[in-house]
Amino acid sequence: MDDRPPLQKIAISGPTLASLIQRFSTSPSSLDGLLFGHVTLLTPLNLSDDPSTASSATTTSDESTSSATLVATVTGFISSPSPTSTFYDSTGTVTQTSLRNILNNHHHHNNHHLIGWFSARRKTPLRPSMREFSVTQSLSSLSAFSSQIQNSPNPNSTSSSTASSSSSSFSPCIFILLSSPFSNDHIHTHEYRAYQLRASSSFEPKLIDIVNIGPAFRGHYGSFSPNAAFPVLECDLGISSMNEDRDGNADKEDERLSVMKEKAKDQRELDGCAEGFEVGRLSRMMGSEARSYTSNLEDLYEKMLAKVENLTRLVEQSNAKVLEQEHYNRKLRQKIRAAASE
Amino acid sequence: MAVSAADNVPPFIAAQLTHLLSHFRFTLKVEQMWSGDKYNSGPFDRFTLLIPFCLDFIKWDVIYNAECPTVAPDVIFGPEDEDFHPFPMSSDDGTQASNCLSDWNYRDPARLLSLVQFLRDQYVLYQRKRVGEVDDDRLKFEISTILSREGIEMHMSSVAEKPEEVKFAVPLLDMNINKMVPSCPWRYPQKIHLQVVYPVGRKYTSAPSAPRLKLVSSSELKALFSIDDVKLPPWLDGMCLAEYLPNLEEYLEKQVSEAVSLIDLRRQFIEALAIQLGRPVEADPVFCRKATFLSATGVFTFLVHFLIPTQFPKQQPAIMLQSSQHFNSQMAPLKSRSIADYPWSPRWEPLLMAERIYEFLADEALNFKRQCSEGQLQ
Repeated sequence: MDDRPPLQKIAISGPTLASLIQRFSTSPSSLDGLLFGHVTLLTPLNLSDDPSTASSATTTSDESTSSATLVATVTGFISSPSPTSTFYDSTGTVTQTSLRNILNNHHHHNNHHLIGWFSARRKTPLRPSMREFSVTQSLSSLSAFSSQIQNSPNPNSTSSSTASSSSSSFSPCIFILLSSPFSNDHIHTHEYRAYQLRASSSFEPKLIDIVNIGPAFRGHYGSFSPNAAFPVLECDLGISSMNEDRDGNADKEDERLSVMKEKAKDQRELDGCAEGFEVGRLSRMMGSEARSYTSNLEDLYEKMLAKVENLTRLVEQSNAKVLEQEHYNRKLRQKIRAAASE
Repeated sequence: MAVSAADNVPPFIAAQLTHLLSHFRFTLKVEQMWSGDKYNSGPFDRFTLLIPFCLDFIKWDVIYNAECPTVAPDVIFGPEDEDFHPFPMSSDDGTQASNCLSDWNYRDPARLLSLVQFLRDQYVLYQRKRVGEVDDDRLKFEISTILSREGIEMHMSSVAEKPEEVKFAVPLLDMNINKMVPSCPWRYPQKIHLQVVYPVGRKYTSAPSAPRLKLVSSSELKALFSIDDVKLPPWLDGMCLAEYLPNLEEYLEKQVSEAVSLIDLRRQFIEALAIQLGRPVEADPVFCRKATFLSATGVFTFLVHFLIPTQFPKQQPAIMLQSSQHFNSQMAPLKSRSIADYPWSPRWEPLLMAERIYEFLADEALNFKRQCSEGQLQ
């Protein structure tokens, strides 16, 4: 069964692409990682109340008239912590155990499937390398990591003639390559290309669609699914998470206690953040009584601004700390290298 | 290019690259080295290799990561070779048979060599496969009759906006030229190749046109034998390569043996000059293409340079005089132009040649001295 049906394009939201590029530009050297998202079968939406987009939609869909198109949407990524602790070996073969480890450490929910990987390297040509091909080939052959195509018709039903209707699963065969050009200018240029590995063992360059707000992206609303995960808050204080090992020896007991303490602390911090924004108070901002609370609303807004400012400062401070640590790590690595080469 | 620690190359990369450059069976070049570091100040851990292939070069970027020496290097092939995948997956389970990348050991300086050697071998096969897939009857026939020849390389060029071409590099002559030259200084075996370029893709032309032919020799061979002087036999209508090659090889073989025998004639000439001008200050002992003598007229001492062509004695040597006493403003010694209008006949014995040159020089030296002191020369 072909579980690499041809994609029409690869969509990525502006913020996701921006954070991917940001992650790359702040990393000291090359970077790679996994891409998450979903693959959706889109039925073309030609109905529009905007005559200009309606006409352009019909012209662009000429080559795929009335057939559904397959679009992969990248909604998130994680980067490997370091080039030595990645999910493949030196021959480019994916090591399933480390892949699973990375996936398990990462909170991913229903709408968040592994659909491919990315590689980012500085001052190299924007072409897939030998190893990048091997990794993509290896990754996409792991059927255990395939995901379901959304909106896909039932394979048993008589459906349209598109190739995608023959299968409903999609293997992680997407590869996004980022690179920066050779010239060391003061202008930062970021180049990227997306590929899909097809069953014929060749990379097919794919159109990248950066999803933004506007009439051109109306079609996306039909398949929109929210993916900003609210942080998992475990308020049940370690009852369900600990049911694997119920035998209560002292070590485990200690561990459980520390986990509980940790969670209580998290909850306190969270409560601190929400201070002044209690649900009861917020509910008064809606409906008919809201009119009499304008001053209250202004007060809330001001507090919110203060909180945001506070948050920015915190981010700034933590960034400085991260940078400091990174410099320190760099020095350590250099020391190790110097020691190793002697 | 020398790879030294001063170039800011990490020692493990320098060791592997040096080993590669000195042990590869072809002359490799490193076009550039750079750093993949964010601030461009880090160690140089990536470089472009120029690898000879099919009488041309292929450019591959070898990408190490200085931050983690234990990781094997990656390679980016040329833009035309996006379908070249040297490590195919062995089965559907996503693994690869063990190859020269598995268990990479960065402390072993020979690892890069075996990697590049493997990749080039695979590339030769890949290009041969591509050429074999070209839908052209004449080409299919040529391949079937020529493929048994050892060392033949093929290349399919498909640059946009240019008609497709298939290039063959056919090694000629089964003889070891290095062994024919006494005390041969060449590190690599010298080879002469015939480059054959077939235009393809024009399906509707009536008869296949003659391919473009060109002889190419390794550059060091020029000291012995100039390939540009060889006139290629004509390519007759309907000919194929298997018919063409034997004649060409026979002809070339004669030319090369003759060129080797000419070394002796040049040596005799230099020895004859030594009788007149004294022991040479400097002479090319292997190919006898150059000799320099110290001479004097009165108190004016000067050097006489002889440049002897490969076609000697058919072509006469060029003579140049260099003063030992006159210098220009950059403190470089003054030299005469290259002199070729002296008494000469290719039929003369070496002794006679030397005698006549000596007589000529006696006059010419005075001329040269006057030019030097009058500041006519630069």
